[in-house]
Amino acid sequence: MSKQTQTVKPKKTFSDYWSSYSTVAILVLMLIVFSALKPSAFLSTNNFVKIIEQSSITILLACGEFFGIILGGIDLSVSSTMALSGVVCAKLMLAGWPPVLAVLVGIILFGAVVGAINGSLINLTNLPPFIITLGTQAIFRGFTYILSDARSVSGISTGFMQFVGGKLGGVVPMPIVIALIVALILIFFTTKTRAGRNIYALGGNPSSAYYAGITTKRHQLLCFVISGVCASLAGMVNIARLGSAEPNAGTGYETYAIASVIIGGASFFGGQGVVWKVVIGGLIIGVINNGLNMVGLSSYYQQIAMGALIILAVTLDRFFGASKDK
Amino acid sequence: MLGLFLKKRNALTSGQKEKMVHMNSLVEMRNITKKFPGVTALSGVNFDVQPGEVHVLLGENGAGKSTLMKMLSGAYEPTEGTMVANGKEFPRFTPRISQENGISIIYQELSVIDEISIQENIFVGKLLTKKVAGISLVDNATMKQRTQEVLDEIGLKRSPGTRAGQLSIPEKQMVEIAKAVAFDAKVIIMDEPTSSLTTEEINHLFEIVDRLKKQGKGIVFISHKLDEVMAIGDRVTVLKDGQYIGTYPISEMNEDKLVTMMVGREIKGTYLQDPNRDYGDDIIFEAKDITRKDNRCRNISFQLKRGEILGFSGLVGAGRTELMEAIFGAAPMKTGEMTLLGEKLNIKCPYDALKAGIALVTENRRVTGFSPFFSIKQNLIQAKYLKESKFGGMTGLINKKMEQEVAEEQRAAMQIKCATTNQTITELSGGNQQKVILGKWMASDPKLIIFDEPTKGIDVGTKSEIYKLMRALAERGIGVLVVSSEMPELLSTCDRIVVFSDGKKNGEFTSLEATEEALVRAATT
Repeated sequence: MSKQTQTVKPKKTFSDYWSSYSTVAILVLMLIVFSALKPSAFLSTNNFVKIIEQSSITILLACGEFFGIILGGIDLSVSSTMALSGVVCAKLMLAGWPPVLAVLVGIILFGAVVGAINGSLINLTNLPPFIITLGTQAIFRGFTYILSDARSVSGISTGFMQFVGGKLGGVVPMPIVIALIVALILIFFTTKTRAGRNIYALGGNPSSAYYAGITTKRHQLLCFVISGVCASLAGMVNIARLGSAEPNAGTGYETYAIASVIIGGASFFGGQGVVWKVVIGGLIIGVINNGLNMVGLSSYYQQIAMGALIILAVTLDRFFGASKDK
Repeated sequence: MLGLFLKKRNALTSGQKEKMVHMNSLVEMRNITKKFPGVTALSGVNFDVQPGEVHVLLGENGAGKSTLMKMLSGAYEPTEGTMVANGKEFPRFTPRISQENGISIIYQELSVIDEISIQENIFVGKLLTKKVAGISLVDNATMKQRTQEVLDEIGLKRSPGTRAGQLSIPEKQMVEIAKAVAFDAKVIIMDEPTSSLTTEEINHLFEIVDRLKKQGKGIVFISHKLDEVMAIGDRVTVLKDGQYIGTYPISEMNEDKLVTMMVGREIKGTYLQDPNRDYGDDIIFEAKDITRKDNRCRNISFQLKRGEILGFSGLVGAGRTELMEAIFGAAPMKTGEMTLLGEKLNIKCPYDALKAGIALVTENRRVTGFSPFFSIKQNLIQAKYLKESKFGGMTGLINKKMEQEVAEEQRAAMQIKCATTNQTITELSGGNQQKVILGKWMASDPKLIIFDEPTKGIDVGTKSEIYKLMRALAERGIGVLVVSSEMPELLSTCDRIVVFSDGKKNGEFTSLEATEEALVRAATT
């Protein structure tokens, strides 16, 4: 068997290498550029820990967003879900719930419910996810303000803050540990389970997936549930880091999430993409933000750099990836 | 422009129309041959349109009707032959010549734009303008008035401002006719205009055709429904496999003669079934009184015996594919019962069908056949995974070893030609893709396989492989249903053939009784 596969192994072309390693290449390139520009500030363990910690929320959001995009859709509500579940979790702790229970109910369960609302609305109305989640983005944000009285919610247990916002072994930030655990679970889900495989089929061609016997609505619902839970976990990390739940938390973060997924090489038309590259995509966003800060550019320039990078990444992908699909 | 047209119409209707017949032809095509690389699509065809007649163009799918019409519209250039319009000869028509000589085509796929009004549809691309203080503005008032005149003329009772999206299909068709009339078309070509109309709507269309005819327009009516041809036509030109059979007055024709001319080809090829075989009474699949919610097929009942291949013949849109979608759970049923191997089925979606052991090899491979980004292997394992998983096919893990085994097994069984099963399926030829789809279903251990146009766009060699495979499946006791528009295919593979017409079963033939003539007749009456 191994002999056979060896003899027919097709020659790898540049576009093959590009589609495998472009995301990593961009990350390395960014690290080199910033190291060269500002070696003193950028190249330090402390700064890397900071980058990783800052990236963890983006990575969590992006991991969820990936499941909207893999379907050929999108989830614009992740930023609002993050804020809403943060407030819910904080309120539960304020009401005296033990942190573990508050996280299970206010984050995991609540995130799943929020995602199920998105998924069910999309299934029921057959409207594009863009429309539905554009609506729920506003709705969830509205509930966040109502629930919090538009004020930050304090009363978060210190134990929770020290654990979730702290450092594992005093070195590795807990947020990135959480983000990586989530990413690992999702990597397993997408590559090793049949439901994961089905989701790729569904995103690649919904009608052929339906005619192959895939229960399209169920799988679609599942994708949005995953997205909701990931966004909620981002909300949990956020309140732990800040020590309070802010009703306007995460505003505009869906852009970072979408950018991470796209820079991570996932197809906007669905059916193509891998989770580990989305994690790299999230890191790239973190490096850019941090690096530009170090170089001393204002956050306005960061916006421009981010936007340019998204366009560049997708253009290059089109250009080099094009010869592959014919 | 329209005013001119109206004047002309009045002149015509005041008694001159009788003389118009057999005056000079509006258009004429003499001895037309069209060759594409490797194929001769048309050879030696003569065709002309006289003022005030309905000239029917008759032929099976692929007979060359559309190719001929594309030369009239200026899309194609004839390889040999002469085109004549209003007495002037041309080596070919350009779209411009075609337009200047008043040739207008109403395609089967209507081009009405839903989002804009009737009047905008009629004047789309040719908006009337008026000058106000030196600036050209759209002249809505005049367009509205003219649209109203044309609508009155053809009898469409809608206001010009109505959004086209609110119109029914026949009304949209009338808008297309109105468009032709508004721009003074002399020759109106209607490509299968009745294919999506009900009997009542067809009658109304015929009234309009009659009216246009009386105004001295030449109508080319493309159809393969014989009763309509007899009812509306003045003359008929028959094409068969690109050959010109002849042009005849309808008065000298009857349906039998037309059928013979349309299909009188020799059927070559081997017959895979034994017409004298008795299949007994072992019924493996039975459908009772299936009616789709959208009524696209109605009251269909049939039985399939062990070892048999059952074919479904009929025109495109007659309800065959629609029935198969309903059986497979891809379209909801209003009524209907199904039994497979003695068990009553309750199928709501393709997943249920898969679980019950029903497979559907769809007509449109690229759209509904396979997952385009998946490898051959991933496509081959898809149905088996789903069937073996629970909870809507969501449980279970990927099993690389099983994947490899199933892929190699099906690759050998279906003789899929590929370097490795890790190749992307889109790298394969159409025939090999079809084999992968078949292999996918076979891996799920089906009890009933439905083939919808199984050899569409597939080379001859692979075709015969697929026929043999279908026969082998039937011998193994798997139910085989075949929908096909290629009659030789059905005649050479099926033990029985059910013919559909207009959403209903309109005949059933054993392989002894089935002939092309009989099938065409049942499909067109």
